[in-house]
Amino acid sequence: MAEIKLNNLTKRWGDFIGVDDQSLHIKDREFLVLLGPSGCGKTTTMRMIAGLEEPTAGEIWIGDRMVNDDLPKDRDVAMVFQNYGLYPHMTIFDNIAYPLKVRGTDKSEIRPRVEKAAEQVELTEFLHRKPKALSGGQRQRVALARAIVRTPKVFLMDEPLSNLDAKLRVTMRAELKHLSRALQITTVYVTHDQIEAMTLADRVAVMKNGIIQQLGTPDDIYNNPANLFVAGFIGSPAMNLINGSVTDGMFVTTGGTRLVPVKSPDREKAILGVRADDMHVHEAGQGDIDVTIYAFENTGESTLLTVQWGKQRVIARGDRHLRKDQDDVVGISLNQDHLYLFDPETEDRIEM
Amino acid sequence: MTGKQKKQIFGAIQTALILIAMFIMLVPIIWIFLAAFKSHVDVYQLKLFFTPTLENFSVVFDDPYRLGEKLLNSTIVAFVTILFAIPIATLAAYSFSRFSMRGETLMLVTILATQFVPAVVIILPFFVMFRDIGLLDTRLGLILVNLAIVMPFAIWMIKGFIDGIPMDTEEAAMVDGSSRLQVIRNIVLPMAAPGLLTSAIFCFIIAWNEFLFALILTNKDAVTLPIGLGLFKGEEGDLWNLLSAAGIIIMAPMFVLALMIRKYFVQGMTMGAVR
Amino acid sequence: MRDNTLKYLLVLPAVLVVFVTAIWPLIEAARLSFTVGRLNRPGSLDQYLGWENYLWAFFEEPAFWNSVWVTAIYTLLTVGLTTVFALGLALLLAPGGRLRSSAQALLILPFAMSPALIGVSFRFMFNPEFGLFDAFFGIVFPPLADVSWLADPQLALAVVVMADVWGWIPFLTLVLIGGLASVPRDTVEAAQVDGASGWRVFKDVTLPQLAPVLAVVVILKSIFSLKTFDQVFMLTNGGPGTATQTLSHYIYFNGMKYGQIGYSASVAWLMVIPMIFLTYAYAKFVFRKADQ
Repeated sequence: MAEIKLNNLTKRWGDFIGVDDQSLHIKDREFLVLLGPSGCGKTTTMRMIAGLEEPTAGEIWIGDRMVNDDLPKDRDVAMVFQNYGLYPHMTIFDNIAYPLKVRGTDKSEIRPRVEKAAEQVELTEFLHRKPKALSGGQRQRVALARAIVRTPKVFLMDEPLSNLDAKLRVTMRAELKHLSRALQITTVYVTHDQIEAMTLADRVAVMKNGIIQQLGTPDDIYNNPANLFVAGFIGSPAMNLINGSVTDGMFVTTGGTRLVPVKSPDREKAILGVRADDMHVHEAGQGDIDVTIYAFENTGESTLLTVQWGKQRVIARGDRHLRKDQDDVVGISLNQDHLYLFDPETEDRIEM
Repeated sequence: MTGKQKKQIFGAIQTALILIAMFIMLVPIIWIFLAAFKSHVDVYQLKLFFTPTLENFSVVFDDPYRLGEKLLNSTIVAFVTILFAIPIATLAAYSFSRFSMRGETLMLVTILATQFVPAVVIILPFFVMFRDIGLLDTRLGLILVNLAIVMPFAIWMIKGFIDGIPMDTEEAAMVDGSSRLQVIRNIVLPMAAPGLLTSAIFCFIIAWNEFLFALILTNKDAVTLPIGLGLFKGEEGDLWNLLSAAGIIIMAPMFVLALMIRKYFVQGMTMGAVR
Repeated sequence: MRDNTLKYLLVLPAVLVVFVTAIWPLIEAARLSFTVGRLNRPGSLDQYLGWENYLWAFFEEPAFWNSVWVTAIYTLLTVGLTTVFALGLALLLAPGGRLRSSAQALLILPFAMSPALIGVSFRFMFNPEFGLFDAFFGIVFPPLADVSWLADPQLALAVVVMADVWGWIPFLTLVLIGGLASVPRDTVEAAQVDGASGWRVFKDVTLPQLAPVLAVVVILKSIFSLKTFDQVFMLTNGGPGTATQTLSHYIYFNGMKYGQIGYSASVAWLMVIPMIFLTYAYAKFVFRKADQ
């Protein structure tokens, strides 16, 4: 068990910058999720922690040791790979036992430990099989068992659920969460799936272009996005971003609608962010503004209304019993407690 | 004519063409096969029906031909060649596959290019050198020059197989506590084993069939099977029944080996330029 | 040990072997090409005479130009014929099914047959008295019945070409079947739905996508055709006269039979030059693929 410190970590390949001078302090026993779109540097960051990639500059500390010059095998970390990285020529037992064997663990100790790990991930009956004979979910569990069979300082997980089908992913997510709470080991988890990030993390680091955009609890990044990117990346459907200006203490859309009062001083350009759930749908004439429905979608648990608002389209979530049709006119109003104002130039959040 | 009839006729033509093509492909092989079982008299007649005899196969092993010695030479030369080539090529192929090195492309192109250097260019200096140091007509000399034609194939082919092994697995082993050499031994070698065997067979066939080097470097003690074919000349010209029997002895084991590596044949011959 | 050191150590033995067995002979052959280089004359291997060997080949030796000519015709014919036949056979066999799959399986057999043995078997079959092909052609076209194929300069070359084409068709067919399999099915199906006839689908959709593979096939076959030695040696030994003497055979003959190592080394180096261009073209394909 240990904390991880990244100090001014940089990774460059020629002109391409993978990770750009980032510092991050991951606390002991914390479950930290690195979240971002592909190519944002999250996997590179993790691979540098594992020792699979050499940093161009900066320091990596695991516990009280600077590990920059340590080989992966000497860093005492365990990693679960996206494609699991199972050894196809070994049985499940040998797969799970490998980290112990290669570290010279006493033979008599190996069997009980492998069996215990297998039990924790419900693999006991498959120990004699080869990976080929297992389903995707089972292979995922083997990878997990191989990580938990010893007690490493750090767990690293690289998109471990991305190769599973949607249903299995939800089940495994819960199992992963249960396991991580039980084991209490510092974990770094890489994903591009915001739901995984929200559900699993103690803290989330949202990355883009090699830079951490925001570091905070799931609540934080959902309710207090630091900038346009985080606001747009977190939440499904994505947050609506409405172009306009701040004039005389009001946010005014480019179409000229005076929408909501804001405290911020006047500015020529501003973006108002509002989530679909914070846009309420009414009959025409009863909301703040009337709009025409561009598309009406029924998802079962709710309805989604894409509406034409001036030159922009925004999405509102309606009641699951609501029934409307394309080209109908509805009224919408905004929940004034959950609005966000951004500067379109810097993309930073502005106090409302 | 209906579309269906058209289709049937077209299909029949195709089947006929395929059968003719197969016939042409196989006739020379079958003809040698038949001749190998013909008696000295029958072979000079175009007979399809004859009394088969195994006599040719015993004659070729007797004096003065002693094909057994050539068989032994061919076997030893081909075996020792791959015994050196495959391990050396495997290490290099792993390095080429997994690391980027200074001058890597240059090395790979050079290795590829050596494959295309005419054998007759390579052999002239070797002949002079072997004459001076007494390696002419020895198996060792033959093995040495065979490495020249086998190594590039082996390196490129094995590299192809290692390229196909997912990096994940190796990285998992490294995080699990293996050193690089342990990774090669415990993970890469077992996973690449079928590929290594295929490459070994491929190189064995090449070394076994090698002709020009053996022709120039050997004349008595180290003569290999393909050169041994030149022995079967009588007063009235070629002794076709004996030549054919010897041909069968050269071909048969290669047929078996070739069928074993059928799947990788194209990949091996084109060094990955195709597929 | 760090990977940075290890990676060079791993390639070292292979690089050494390649250097000793392939690079050194090339350099040494270049050196020899500038010497008197007579096998039976001690010291002549270090006796330099400048470009004389090359000049001799160019201006004093009709036999050299003859072998260049033979090699050129031989290469042109074998590359062209093998490619065309192989493409036809590949198109016939590519669809799969029982007959076609077993035919594909049989194609491996001629590869296992060494070129020398192919030479022997063709000499056997074109024997004027009891050769199978000879009899066959005699029945199909009686005027050919008593032709001594291997005694006639033109026909002998034709037989050598035939043997080579026979030996290489299977390999190129397998390569092209692989190439055809990698042409995306949906592009072919899209053309069919769009109303193209079988020929148009082949010409407009399949062939352009097969072009890179065809290019590789042509380059590879050209390289091997230029080097041809084994079959020629066993089938005609360059004869009758020098009618089928390829460059490799000419070099072998001058170097080994006449002991003119220096002169044959210079011709050998002349032969390396077109190889360099072909290898360069081939390497481009190999590495273009690696970049994808």
